[in-house]
Amino acid sequence: MNEFVERRLTLRWQQAKRAYDVVIVGGGGHGLATAYYLAARHGITNVAVVEAGYIGAGNSGRNTTIIRANYGIPEAVRFYQHSLELYQTLEDELDCWMMYTTKGIIWLAHTETAMRAERARSLLNLACGAETVMLTPQEVKALCPQLDLSGGGRYPVLGASYHPAAATARHDRVVWAYAQGAMRLGVHVLQHTRVTGLLRDGARVTGVETSAGPISAGQVLSAVGGNVSTLAAYADVRLPIRTHPLQAFVTNDYEQAFQPILSDTELLCYVSQTERGQMLIGAEFDAQPSYSLKSSFSFLQSSAAKAMHLLPFLRNLRVLRQWTGICDISADFSPILGETGVEGFLVTTGWGTWGFKAIPAGGELMAELIASGRTPPLLEPFRLDRFASDQTMADPGSTGTH
Amino acid sequence: MPALETLPGLRIVASPEALDAAPWSAGTVVLRFAPDDAFAIGATAVDIADDHAIVAEESGFVGRWLTREELDDRLVTHIEWPLPTALPALAQGLIAGVPAKLWLTTDRVLLLCAAAYAAELADRLG
Amino acid sequence: MSGDGRIVLDGRPIPYRSGDSVAVAVMRAGEHPQHGGTVCLAGDCGNCVAEVDGIAYTRTCQTPARPGLVVQRHPAAGAPPLRAARQIDVTTAPPAGRIPVQRIEADLVVIGAGESGTAAATNARGQGRSVTLLDARDGEEVVGIYAGPTVIVRTPKGMAHIHARDVVVATGAAELHPVCPGNGLIGLVTARAAEQLHTAGVDLGVSVAIGSPPSGVPCTPVGGSLRRIEGVGRVSAVVTVDDDGEGERTTACETVIVGLGRAARTVLWRMADDLPVTVVGPAAQSFPLPEAPTAGTVCPCSRVDVDDLVGVWERGFQDLELLKRAALVGIGTCQGSACLPHLRAFIAERSTAIPEPFTARPASRQITIAEAAAGVHVDAFRRTALHDEHVALGAQMDRFGGWWRPWHYGDHVAEYWAVREGVSLGDVSTLGKLVVSGPDAVEFLERLYPTGVGDIRVGRSRYALLLNDGGHLIDDGMILREAETRFVLTFTSAGAGHAEMWVRDWAETWGLRVHLLDRTMSLAAINVTGPLAGRLLERVGLPSPPRFLQHVHAEVCGVPCHVMRLSFTGEVSFELHHAVDRSVELWRALMAAGRDLGIAPHGLQALQGLRLEKGHVIVGMDSELDSTPRRLGMEWAVKMDKPDFVGRTALARTAGLPDPRRLVGLTMPGSAPTEGSPIWSDRQIVGHVSSSFASPLLGHAVMLGWLKRTPFPDEVMVDGRSAVAVAPPFYDPEGGRARA
Ligand SMILES: Cc1cc2nc3c(=O)[nH]c(=O)nc-3n(C[C@H](O)[C@H](O)[C@H](O)COP(=O)(O)OP(=O)(O)OC[C@H]3O[C@@H](n4cnc5c(N)ncnc54)[C@H](O)[C@@H]3O)c2cc1C
Repeated sequence: MNEFVERRLTLRWQQAKRAYDVVIVGGGGHGLATAYYLAARHGITNVAVVEAGYIGAGNSGRNTTIIRANYGIPEAVRFYQHSLELYQTLEDELDCWMMYTTKGIIWLAHTETAMRAERARSLLNLACGAETVMLTPQEVKALCPQLDLSGGGRYPVLGASYHPAAATARHDRVVWAYAQGAMRLGVHVLQHTRVTGLLRDGARVTGVETSAGPISAGQVLSAVGGNVSTLAAYADVRLPIRTHPLQAFVTNDYEQAFQPILSDTELLCYVSQTERGQMLIGAEFDAQPSYSLKSSFSFLQSSAAKAMHLLPFLRNLRVLRQWTGICDISADFSPILGETGVEGFLVTTGWGTWGFKAIPAGGELMAELIASGRTPPLLEPFRLDRFASDQTMADPGSTGTH
Repeated sequence: MPALETLPGLRIVASPEALDAAPWSAGTVVLRFAPDDAFAIGATAVDIADDHAIVAEESGFVGRWLTREELDDRLVTHIEWPLPTALPALAQGLIAGVPAKLWLTTDRVLLLCAAAYAAELADRLG
Repeated sequence: MSGDGRIVLDGRPIPYRSGDSVAVAVMRAGEHPQHGGTVCLAGDCGNCVAEVDGIAYTRTCQTPARPGLVVQRHPAAGAPPLRAARQIDVTTAPPAGRIPVQRIEADLVVIGAGESGTAAATNARGQGRSVTLLDARDGEEVVGIYAGPTVIVRTPKGMAHIHARDVVVATGAAELHPVCPGNGLIGLVTARAAEQLHTAGVDLGVSVAIGSPPSGVPCTPVGGSLRRIEGVGRVSAVVTVDDDGEGERTTACETVIVGLGRAARTVLWRMADDLPVTVVGPAAQSFPLPEAPTAGTVCPCSRVDVDDLVGVWERGFQDLELLKRAALVGIGTCQGSACLPHLRAFIAERSTAIPEPFTARPASRQITIAEAAAGVHVDAFRRTALHDEHVALGAQMDRFGGWWRPWHYGDHVAEYWAVREGVSLGDVSTLGKLVVSGPDAVEFLERLYPTGVGDIRVGRSRYALLLNDGGHLIDDGMILREAETRFVLTFTSAGAGHAEMWVRDWAETWGLRVHLLDRTMSLAAINVTGPLAGRLLERVGLPSPPRFLQHVHAEVCGVPCHVMRLSFTGEVSFELHHAVDRSVELWRALMAAGRDLGIAPHGLQALQGLRLEKGHVIVGMDSELDSTPRRLGMEWAVKMDKPDFVGRTALARTAGLPDPRRLVGLTMPGSAPTEGSPIWSDRQIVGHVSSSFASPLLGHAVMLGWLKRTPFPDEVMVDGRSAVAVAPPFYDPEGGRARA
């Protein structure tokens, strides 16, 4: 008997209607969470989530599930801290065991420049209500006994920042739990239905064209992850987004022996052990933009080597599987949420390689915006028009990986 | 692996035609890093038909001549790219993860890299 | 093979015979490599994995037995231990134990040396193509086919990375595993496994065969279809039914040999769907699906039963991909090889179509992380020509911009004073240095830089910002004019690589006639700085050193140098650019000549304080991704009246927009707050400190910091203390000292 088999959630599928108040394109975490909060918090239930494949087929089912709030600009820390707090009570709210586990994340620094950046992160986080503290190498070793403090003789550890609230959760369950919650309240989730165009009335967007026919809508929200440029183009919206692949790999299952999330500011790789016992290893996104879901051997090779420099015990573990997602990365490495300048068409995008942790807050606040027509304060900094007004939210040191 | 030693010479950036036509004294090894960029090992002067040519004394490369056998025995395992077969040829890429170049002729091979990488390369080649 | 011998199973020696795999040896000893389940001996399933010589999840059927090999079975429940992770005192890396990597080029790689694979190889060889033929039975396990196509293989000699033009997948077909109650017992083998075991002389005991029987193996065929297998731990009987599902019949036995049909091994082919890969032989055939499973373990790797599938299906997970994720089937060691046909049959029975197999991903055979990493090298770091000098002087070296650099030599405050009061040397070899020459050089640089270039006189230089198209700072440095049409540009150490590409890109884009030569790694540079710098240079061959912002070519200590007079530290400074192979000589001569002047080197840490007193910005440290000259307070470095330059359009467009962002100078009494400290005003965070330094000379803290809320306050709180905005420079605002 496998204790991790899904034994509680129930998904109820419905036939598509011809019209909804809100159509959300993309059945990833952000689309489904937005649908759930529309129904649960605002009583808007005449909503459809239209998904080209199966729910969670995109990055929401491919990520390395790190949840943290230790970002580098106040606007981001506040947003992700809010999301983290929503996550902490989400299992109750959605009646689902998501395997939410608080692990703490250690960000290793090997140079004075990196130490400086981590000290800055720690101060800013504390000021914005997220706990991040600095650790000496000995303190790091106490939290992560398997770490080779010499970094394989090449990357000696000078210190680290530590964010104890960092957690992981089973990604699929987050997706399914939001789907169940939304479905219970009457939201329709339409799988295997691809949006192929937008219905327009003049400039205004009035619905979606799909592989199963047109569906009209009061408002359309794009929540399509790495495919956002295509979807936005249907509305003649050009976004400052590039799509880059991000890869990860896991080993077979082993007994639980590795507690924290270990991340490296220079090698840009990170390691954790899943609740099932797999060692999960990720690294930075591919430099070359692409829509390809093909994994590369060079990624496996280099991230394996990097991780081994830090954790020599990994060398004899077996690589079980590697995979790729395609990430919507914005020009300032921050998300883009809300109005697009085209009436009836909104986006939640720019989640890049770090948007899993943002699912609860992103969904909750997008729902509020759709329901009220007003941008909630936490979303204000992440509006699309910040690019035109040159008020971008650059936070490159916090993003790019998990 | 014996030490890599400075390879003094001349570095010339000029129009490709001027570089093609440049007269070199016999035996000078001239590596064309790019159509407009040459490194003439051991050269001290050159007559180049380009008024705007950049001609600079170059001592930023270190290197060592190897036999073809040494290449096969000691270097090839550190190279993840195909070696050119039409000789002579200049090949550039990572060797043991260090940016380096190879000048391959039928009987011998020059391994070279920037002096700044010499210690790393020597270390990794063991 | 080395003949007969012994291996160790769970701490107990057991014999093996020449030619045995570990799995066969274990079964010869009457044991099962796991705790039960059908054994296929073909590498397809995960039912024989065990820890072998410390490596868990090793397919024992693919591992030849050798003397002394240590096999530890995985625990019956739960996952194998992470032994190495438990020994907590791993302070140094284990002995490297390098795994060799072979790089192979081939016209054709054929995977599978069966009939169809061998035919494909022979055919290609006949056409003069170079062929690499691989077979798992020879220990060549293909991990995956990647773009290229590149075929990654684990071989008995290490890893092989094969770069191919074409790939033929001839992996044949795998035998189906039985799914029924009792299929996790000890004593189930596939027909082919039975043949192998029999040939190896392993006694299977009383055997019955279900389905197509093995050839040459003594056994009793039983008709009908499999209902369940009975026994406690081991098989004691098999229960079959007739084709209508009626008439249960129990046959006592010790081994059940199953010949239930086959399924094409398509994993490698599916993995490579858009590459030049073809599939031949049984791997290309479509075999009938088995009966939909009704009970028993369906996914032995994850220990999932048909009941689990049913439960998940009934709760709405009605899609192969959802089923896989919810029931965790097909994601273990065998990656679906054992369960996929049954899953498809399960779904086909409940819906209108037979689902396509799920996505195939590497690794199709599991390699260790060390095997994956084999052959890779981490980034190389650069050393300046003076590296050993710094180390000999006791420097603490740090990495910055890909270079090793001295952070300090033991006492950064003393180094600071050497610069402010005496003379000091700094290794600035890491600065980017680019020569630009050509008839269009002036026009090129005018378009590239926001500053004026044409009016820089020969022998003079100018500080310049480098902006991107958005008008945001990407680097800074000097423009030095050497002749009418020839310039030297310098860039920051960390930004040099990108800046060089940037400059080359624009040269290409505009098609202007310029030659570019990067001298970053060819020239070393020593900064001679401090009020006594001029005196030192007089002694060593420069009786009349250049004036501020001038530059000359001259010999210093007998070493030809390009001498640039500028100042980052705020004191008189001469940067001596010279050939890297003369750098040690020059450094030592300068140190010797300045001994009586108290000469001492300074590291980066002191330099960061020195420049901060002058208010100089460090790109990437004080500037952000979107820092415009206006935000940095550096509009003086931009000539908007030039017709065009990179970034001009954006600057013109944003000039009229409100802009609540400014980099400002701040001072406050006492110690320096930590860099990155938030800046507060009215209990709100309004920005952060980007650099800070407790100025030994001024006796208070000086800072650069970002304010991001208008109106910009004159007084703010940092680190719980009050700080005031002061326009930098904090030190020598008239700049008299640098010009002296
Ligand atoms: C390898 C990897 C590791 C990551 N690790 C982390 C991490 O540790 N922590 C973290 O916070 N984030 C991480 N992320 C990022 C995170 O996964 C994403 O930001 C997040 O899942 C985005 O959710 P989404 O709902 O916006 O997009 P997705 O989950 O990608 O969903 C978009 C959906 O839209 C559908 N779709 C696309 N086009 C159409 C169309 N035309 N019509 C209908 N449907 C369409 C897709 O099928 C997909 O299901 C990682 C990402 C990857 C790839």
